[in-house]
Amino acid sequence: MLPRRVLLLLAGAFFLALGFSQAAPAAAETPEQFVGVLGEEAIRVLGDAKLTPEQRTEEFRRLLDKGFNMPLIGQLVLGRHWRTATEAQRSEYLKLFEDFIVQTYSVRLGQYNGETFRIAGGRAAPDNTGDTLVTTEIVRPNGPPVRVDWRVRKNGETLKVVDVIAEGISMLITQRDEFAAVIQNSGGKVDALIDRLRRRQL
Amino acid sequence: MERSIQRPRPLLAALSVVAGLLGGCASTSSTQATGSNATASNEAISDPLEGMNRFIFSVNLAGDKLVLRPAAELYRFAVPRVGRDMVRNFLDNLETPVILANDLFQGEFERAVTTSSRFVINTTLGFAGVADPATNMGFVRHEEDFGQTLGSYGVGPGPYLMLPIFGPSNLRDAGGKVVDHFLDPVNQYAHNTDRDYLTLVRSGMSAVDSRERAIETLDDIERSSIDFYATIRSLYLQRRAADIRNGEAPAFPDIDMTDEPPKSATTAMKSE
Repeated sequence: MLPRRVLLLLAGAFFLALGFSQAAPAAAETPEQFVGVLGEEAIRVLGDAKLTPEQRTEEFRRLLDKGFNMPLIGQLVLGRHWRTATEAQRSEYLKLFEDFIVQTYSVRLGQYNGETFRIAGGRAAPDNTGDTLVTTEIVRPNGPPVRVDWRVRKNGETLKVVDVIAEGISMLITQRDEFAAVIQNSGGKVDALIDRLRRRQL
Repeated sequence: MERSIQRPRPLLAALSVVAGLLGGCASTSSTQATGSNATASNEAISDPLEGMNRFIFSVNLAGDKLVLRPAAELYRFAVPRVGRDMVRNFLDNLETPVILANDLFQGEFERAVTTSSRFVINTTLGFAGVADPATNMGFVRHEEDFGQTLGSYGVGPGPYLMLPIFGPSNLRDAGGKVVDHFLDPVNQYAHNTDRDYLTLVRSGMSAVDSRERAIETLDDIERSSIDFYATIRSLYLQRRAADIRNGEAPAFPDIDMTDEPPKSATTAMKSE
């Protein structure tokens, strides 16, 4: 009796394990699901009236680190100046860049107004990056809906957002153009940008 | 109280709204894809008159602070949202002939049908355009202008220009604005009957209405920018490029390409 039960248990465990191991790859997130989860979580954080502004900023930073490839974004935002920057400049810049984004956007976080979003679909990016563009529609209580495309890149098994495109306007390019202007108007010095970013932290 | 109700919108939505305003386009662009795959994102911005442009920008900002923004706030205070929407609908309807002409110039016949249907429906059922029943009937507004028409035939933006009063533009779009002005039947009528003030009244109303819709957004962008001029320039140029692509996503900025020295203006002209 007993050996038979043990056998059954073992068999059960075996099949369960088999089931899980098969389920694991099947459950790998699609870019659409990934953006969906990220968006739901963002709305949960934004809509949580109990959070203090500081807590909301921290939650935002956590989501940013989890969902976005911030080192890559920061690097691309610096554009061609990345190459000439020293190792010390790069690491300080990357840190300041993330703080800058957190600061910039967390100011706007208090303005959440009941917007919802809908995944409208995903498609391969029209270039050779292998990225997926996940299109969402942000539905606003007042005003027409806004189309936002999330450029999602797969790195190994993890998915990360590398650009956000609102009505055809790339946040990455906007930021890059601004930083490039700051550097250009300071005689091409990356330190000038770092300095400006540092002073903003105060 | 109304301020907080009006207060838009998370992050991205805000940006696109203002970009729409800056591009002279309050509505969302169509998702119709085109075959062209402009790589505006990897092109150097052409702004040879930057010094002058920055100066005009600061004059415009001063004018905004003194006149336009206060007018927009007064407008928001004095006219309820329903009324402001009526104003916007009316102004939008007046623009449809120019949009239709440009739809046709571009050979976009389906869009031309949409534009003409909107005009007929909104002018009649919409009480001379103050209401917009056409949208609910499936005829959704899109924007076209002669600058976009030129862009669709491969004319590049040329140097960026900050126009006095009119704001961000470029050589192509500024020229397009002039063409659109003469295409406009209301302007023609006003001119032929010695009522040129009508054109001014209409532009003034449009400016105040657009400014009212962008109060928070522009504040937001100004506050979060370390170079406001450069941010507006980027938003304007991207918005125009996106309108010409009819909403297709831009190319991804490639690190290797951004490592290259800035491209010449001719490359920019060709590939857009």
